[in-house]
Amino acid sequence: MDYPKEQVEELKRYCSKLSALAEGAVTFLYLEGLRLPTGCNPQECDALLCPVQREGYPSRLYFSVMVSSPYSRNWNVSNARIGERNWFAFSWRVTLPSLTLAQMLVSHLEGFAKQK
Amino acid sequence: MSRGRYSRQSFLGPNSKEMISRTTVAVVGLGGGGSHVVQQLAHIGFQRYVVYDDDIVEDSNLNRLVGATSLDAIAETPKLHIAKTVIYALQPNAAVRGFACRWQEKPEPLRECQIVFGCVDSYKGRHELEIACRRYLMHYIDIGMDVHGDEPPVIGGQVILSSPGSLCMRCVGFLTDEKLAEEASRYGAGSRPQVIWPNGVLASTAVGLAVDLITGWTRRERGYVYLVYDGNQATLKESFTLRNIKIAACKHFAEDDVGDPVLIDL
Amino acid sequence: MRIHLKMRGSTYREIIRDLVRPHPFATERVGFVFGRTGSLANQGKVILINRYHSIPDSHYVEDPTVGARIGSEALTWAMQAVYHGRPSREGIFHIHMHGHKGEPGMSATDAFEIPKVLPGFQSTGRHASHGIIILSRDHGSAWVWLPASQGPARADAVIVVGAPVGMFERSAT
Repeated sequence: MDYPKEQVEELKRYCSKLSALAEGAVTFLYLEGLRLPTGCNPQECDALLCPVQREGYPSRLYFSVMVSSPYSRNWNVSNARIGERNWFAFSWRVTLPSLTLAQMLVSHLEGFAKQK
Repeated sequence: MSRGRYSRQSFLGPNSKEMISRTTVAVVGLGGGGSHVVQQLAHIGFQRYVVYDDDIVEDSNLNRLVGATSLDAIAETPKLHIAKTVIYALQPNAAVRGFACRWQEKPEPLRECQIVFGCVDSYKGRHELEIACRRYLMHYIDIGMDVHGDEPPVIGGQVILSSPGSLCMRCVGFLTDEKLAEEASRYGAGSRPQVIWPNGVLASTAVGLAVDLITGWTRRERGYVYLVYDGNQATLKESFTLRNIKIAACKHFAEDDVGDPVLIDL
Repeated sequence: MRIHLKMRGSTYREIIRDLVRPHPFATERVGFVFGRTGSLANQGKVILINRYHSIPDSHYVEDPTVGARIGSEALTWAMQAVYHGRPSREGIFHIHMHGHKGEPGMSATDAFEIPKVLPGFQSTGRHASHGIIILSRDHGSAWVWLPASQGPARADAVIVVGAPVGMFERSAT
């Protein structure tokens, strides 16, 4: 699965170390050392963006560690195995249609900063 | 007069004993289903095992955990230990690599197997095992049972074979996004009913599939199998979802998607 | 360090069907397979074959001193395939078949001729594993040049993950 070049370039502004990881008919976007919003601990970690429907969510953002944030989140994915690594994700539904990859990433990261 | 331990299974073929002994099998999950599988594999003559389970024996396991005793529940014996004991009692020269952890914590030994038995209790667990088996080219045989409803309760279960290059658990209609999502939303929900006899049916069928994969004794080339167990009717039948399958090739796993994941710079 | 080589049953059947076909003048056929590398325990490696390429009849060169000789078009094609496989670290294996049963080894010609192409594959696809596979009627052997290795490592097993499973283990000598 190829993503539009301009969207990939836009996404790189949020994380310069960007690669593609293909697994099971899905191409994930791997963001190495993604900087997280203020108040998060750790301040950065690796992340995996799945821009397509998965596990009942329109899109999903996975993290290499469980991140603590100002608002407690429901980390309903623990040790999900993707690309031969273990990943974590909290329940956060991004429902806006037709988002670019960068907009999708930002919408997911808002999950740390918004109460709900 | 005894004619040799494997004399009664000579119908499997003249080289079957050697073929079975040279095959490396994994059993992921050594609970109700996995303990049956391990016992049967040991009886048949398998010599090379990779087994995973991070749990201990509890009293509530004793209604179904093959090889476990009351003393094991008191002693909180690791299920891994039970499995190894069963294997070594029948095959003292077996090579058993056992891991008291989730397979995801030590995935490399799994990749040396030719057949992986998934005896786990979640859709997520099955999904991840199947991905690993496709990536590292291993036959995956999945078993599972559940009891749901009441008035009367319904016992259901499945035996699925998912082979590299053939239809996967999504293709045959067993694994769906809805099931994974629903399971994720029930995160942390309590333990489910389990009894020994469905596990026995499913484990035996799974082991039979494995022996056929190795020896080819039935002369049937199976790329996929999806059998549904109805514990109330006491039947094990091909899933009705297979009647409507119009796909010839799996769309969920690309044939190129093998080996260690490679990150492609964008 | 353990090295395994695995392929699907469908790939194995495709290879055999192609390699046993008669050629207009060569007494043997050869082909290429492509594979990616996986990690095993204790620094072991597994090569996972994902596809087969049949060399067209016209890419052979008539040479009665050997069973089969492929020409420059076949090698150019192979080198380009290795180049295009670089992002996914996909390597190439020369494959052919001996007509006997039992564990195959390299003939004197195999040992002299085939390894000559490996340095070129290695320098083009530096991060991939490349090598040689020889099948017999009921067995198989493989020699693997892992990334950055000077020479081959003999695979401990060639495994066909099909129905039935084929487990071709290197004999202990």
